[in-house]
Amino acid sequence: MNIHNASIEEISMLQLSDSFFPSGMYTTSGGLEALYYSNRKITDADQLRDLIKVYLEHQIGPADCSALGNSYEHIQRNDLQKLVEVDNMIFSMKLIEEVRNASTRSGTQVLRCVSSFRTDNRILNGYQEAITGLMMLYGFSVSMVGAALRLGVLQHFDGQRIIHELKPSISETVEKNIDRPLTSMWQFAPDIDILQIAHERMSSKMFIT
Amino acid sequence: MSSKRIPRLGIGGPVGSGKTMLIEQVVPRLSSRGYRAGIVSNDVVSREDAERMRRNLATERGLMSEDLVVGLATGGCPHTAVREDPSMNISVVEEMESKHRDLDLILIESGGDNITTTFSPALADYFIYIIDVSGGDKYPRKRGLGIESCDLLVINKIDVAPYVGADLSVMERDAKIIRGGKPYVFVNCKDGQGTEEVTEHIIRDVLFEAPPKVVKR
Repeated sequence: MNIHNASIEEISMLQLSDSFFPSGMYTTSGGLEALYYSNRKITDADQLRDLIKVYLEHQIGPADCSALGNSYEHIQRNDLQKLVEVDNMIFSMKLIEEVRNASTRSGTQVLRCVSSFRTDNRILNGYQEAITGLMMLYGFSVSMVGAALRLGVLQHFDGQRIIHELKPSISETVEKNIDRPLTSMWQFAPDIDILQIAHERMSSKMFIT
Repeated sequence: MSSKRIPRLGIGGPVGSGKTMLIEQVVPRLSSRGYRAGIVSNDVVSREDAERMRRNLATERGLMSEDLVVGLATGGCPHTAVREDPSMNISVVEEMESKHRDLDLILIESGGDNITTTFSPALADYFIYIIDVSGGDKYPRKRGLGIESCDLLVINKIDVAPYVGADLSVMERDAKIIRGGKPYVFVNCKDGQGTEEVTEHIIRDVLFEAPPKVVKR
């Protein structure tokens, strides 16, 4: 019986972290496109892997992952006010307008989609906290690799290799940040922020950022 | 939610087939009858279409406010953005809907794509697919989900048919067969020929001949 329940949970995790799940994430490249057209073009898979690591360890981990952990905590206590506080905090930490908008839009649609088939009204409770963190970071990494493939920066085997090589970073980053309190949430990757601000203003582009 | 939903019209078609020009023909015709529309334009690589429509329809002709033309990047996957993962489009449409409750219609222009494009019913209530004659008169016959399944097939640039050796009667015959009686219209978006008929289809089949929400004084 337990095995059955566990496998249903695992399949649920696979469903949410599948790039086919309608989260809209494929519309962003994390500034990769701006980099592509700049004089700092990424030329190989290892450089892309290192860039994704910077994102994970300096932005998504200490900010988004911590926000996720805090959200879980407040949901368990039914504390809506605190939940709104977390939402405001993560919103204010996203410095690029297009990234803020994309994040809000993606989040709204993901929640709405899941709530269309999970009717218990406790969507997050159905998914374990740390696993959801892994899914988020994995999903981000896959969307960056997907954007790189479409930009022709690397070929498909390289894409899978760097996703594989990012696994330790994804795992460690979640472990380090999922219990981070709201008061010590942070993000610091100014070079990436500036890059994305430049991207936001490009007149010709495939990706939102 | 669904009872408040403003009718949504999806317009798809290959790159350069005339999606933007069709909108530029149809919106003023709707406007002259009092209908107000918002536009979400999906970019493939450039914001040019959204910016042109904003300048042409909002800034210069004052038919709508400038924030009623929104451009959206689709990550190089224009068909995904209107079909299998329309999340971003739905969010943008709903934002427009909540800010402008008095709109009669929201137009969603897909990025130029191939002939398999269709719109998710979650995103659009009615789907126009536009092709042009310059690809040759074989176009309808070659099928493709867009041509077959759209609610209205629009065949544009009929003025250049003689120059590219396209026989409009062949296109008409094939469109009839392939589409099983569903409507099609021949147009020339450059001079507006046929676009009044497209407008009438929209008023009848999308708006169900409801009067404009806001009556001009």
